Amino acid sequence: MNAAILTDLTRCQGCEACVWACKEINGLPREDGAKRLSATTWTAIERIGDVPVRRQCMHCLEPACVSVCPVGALQKTSQGPVVYDESRCMGCRYCMLACPFGMPKYEWSELVPGVRKCGMCFDRAVSHGEQPACTAACPYGATQFGERDALVAEARRRIAENPGRYVDKVYGERDAGGTSVLYLSSVPFEQLGFPSALNGDPYPRLTWEILSKLPNVVGVAAVALFGIHWITRRREDVARAEGTRDENRTGAQS
Amino acid sequence: MNGTPELVLGGRRRLSAPLDLAARLRALGLWKVVLLGAGALGLWATIVRYTQGLGAATHLSDSFPWGLWIGFDLLVGVGLAAGGFVVAATVHIFRLEKYEPIARPAVLTAFLGYLLVIVALLYDLGRPWNIWHPLVMWNPHSVMFEVAWCVMLYTSVLALEFSPLVFEKLGWHRPLSWLRAAFVPLVIAGVLLSTLHQSSLGTLYVIVPGKLHGLWYTPLLPVFFFLSAVAAGLAMTMVESCLSFRAFGKRIETELLQGMARVVVVVLSVLTVWKAIDLLTRGNLGLVFRITPESAMFWGEMALGAVLPAVLFAMPRVRASERGLFFAAVLTVLGFILGRLNVAITGMVASSGVHYVPSWMEFAVSLLLVALGFAAFAAAVRWLPVFHSAGEHPEPAQAPAAARPLLTRPMLVFFWGFLAIGAGLLWAASVRGTPPTEPAGSGGAAAIVSGDRREPRLPPEFTFPTGADSPGPVTFRHEVHVALVGESAICATCHATAWSLRASGAPQDGAATYDRIHAGDLCANCHNGSAAFAMDDCALCHAQ
Repeated sequence: MNAAILTDLTRCQGCEACVWACKEINGLPREDGAKRLSATTWTAIERIGDVPVRRQCMHCLEPACVSVCPVGALQKTSQGPVVYDESRCMGCRYCMLACPFGMPKYEWSELVPGVRKCGMCFDRAVSHGEQPACTAACPYGATQFGERDALVAEARRRIAENPGRYVDKVYGERDAGGTSVLYLSSVPFEQLGFPSALNGDPYPRLTWEILSKLPNVVGVAAVALFGIHWITRRREDVARAEGTRDENRTGAQS
Repeated sequence: MNGTPELVLGGRRRLSAPLDLAARLRALGLWKVVLLGAGALGLWATIVRYTQGLGAATHLSDSFPWGLWIGFDLLVGVGLAAGGFVVAATVHIFRLEKYEPIARPAVLTAFLGYLLVIVALLYDLGRPWNIWHPLVMWNPHSVMFEVAWCVMLYTSVLALEFSPLVFEKLGWHRPLSWLRAAFVPLVIAGVLLSTLHQSSLGTLYVIVPGKLHGLWYTPLLPVFFFLSAVAAGLAMTMVESCLSFRAFGKRIETELLQGMARVVVVVLSVLTVWKAIDLLTRGNLGLVFRITPESAMFWGEMALGAVLPAVLFAMPRVRASERGLFFAAVLTVLGFILGRLNVAITGMVASSGVHYVPSWMEFAVSLLLVALGFAAFAAAVRWLPVFHSAGEHPEPAQAPAAARPLLTRPMLVFFWGFLAIGAGLLWAASVRGTPPTEPAGSGGAAAIVSGDRREPRLPPEFTFPTGADSPGPVTFRHEVHVALVGESAICATCHATAWSLRASGAPQDGAATYDRIHAGDLCANCHNGSAAFAMDDCALCHAQ
């Protein structure tokens, strides 16, 4: 299964059912409201003008957070959700820096802080065949759970049937290399705070292109350094044997 | 040859004598006061950090997760310690043995530097007790994983490179001979590890193309980080040679400094030209000439911190003077610090949408670590054969105050000016953080959505279980309630706090009992006679 969520912003009425269902299933405190993502609000309804925009982790197909985590605390499951294993985390927060969507949040005031974000209800629902709390709660069918391919096709079908209603883009189909959370909108996505300049390549490729070259660099450099050392050493030995060490060294240094 | 008085020039003090600040401060013990002050503030910040968490001690936030401790303590700390591997390679691989006298101080600096970087990480990591996790929990795709391993291994290499000093002091000859046998492979490993992680600190930022300002973002960041670290590491070794040889009464061999200065000229020139070409090919050269806090910081980093010292070092007149060398080396180091802070802070602020100015506690901890570094260096020089092998006899110390002062008044004014302007611009850049883009006029968007109100898919009606003495079952109908509450009805009205969204008829917590409902909770949140009819007529809800 390649689980995904399609949120059709033209259907969303901003009722916040998804937000409170999320808090309910994850046992999150309710005090800090529903308007802004935080360590205790993993999906939020942000109002941009009058447009309610549901935010949550995008569950990238090749997530930057997963690639940068030095201890593998973040993982992309084969079912689709990107999940976090608190026991591995050392709190470097590189995931927060690297995420192009700014989704991971931190428990800044905790003494044993962790990274917090939507995990697509992997443990509580998706891993045993149920849908996440947010999509189950939506009374408008604005946010739906399903197979990613089927949801992309559904989104394309809606755009084709109603070209006036939607901007011609399924956000997340290719952005940041593709995400498991997809959006449809009547308003251009860049006006709704979605990063618009993400090229189609997955982010981890940027660093992997450099990292994957390192073994070669190390190999060549190691041989070169030993070689240089051998040559300089040999030159000294020869010089010493010829009894002209001092002259030779002065020559080599200039 | 050491100890000859020609550089002391005590008799040549002019009337307009350059302010002998170092000597005066030493007389006053002012540096000790500064160190103690930094220690006290740093200790206070440490207590706050470990008793109240990162949020209380720092100005970091979800939008700005990496601040001064990463920018200065980690990036600058590691970079300035680069002298260790450059000098070790020069002496032991290229076998330019005249540099031998600075090899030990350079290795000591590097070793202390890396230890302090690890201490800094213990502050910055949210769960510092898990700092060993990369040893057993691997993710080879992570740049940070590679950096973590390199730093751990290189710190071990430095410990071994440093250990002969301890063994000599203790007179342990057997480990010394073992080390001597393994020294070249050790140095080569050190060079490789340093090359890897000095560059990889730049690679850390290659994954944030949308966040790091165009003046600094480039896939070449690892190359630029490596080159600038080599220049700064050498410059730092020069600065510290000037200061410590003087403070500990040793005469510095200007010839060595001149040799290093030439290398710095080459490295800084390559760096500057390559950066200019990279900006040009990426189409970002225009950003350099636009007047923004970022471009001002960039000019500070490149013009004052790279081009100017390269030009100065290239002038024979400057290279002939110890002061000239010292001044240009300090400039190089300042430029390097600015450059790293530019990547970590200046270049990241605009995209973050928040203001980030480090808290006083972040400064205090950084200052504490610097102070610890100085103190540890002085202690090591005092107890260990840093400036001489154990076989040699240390030369009698000259009175340091008799030496010609390195810092002249114009130099001091320049440095303080540099720092003040830098701090001011850093502040200007960091408070400039632009708020997230507001949508262009809410009207258009609103029109599209509000013309499109859909009917919600509501759950079927629900009949509450009845108790023994109930006057009749209560059936709840969503349609009626949503219609009656009207336009303002959002799910959150009832489901934010009172009722579950996942199970019909269940409250968020506990059970829906008669007592709760009739005592003002659950249904009675609205059915109180003002928002909706009061619960005084049973028949309104209970079917009979």
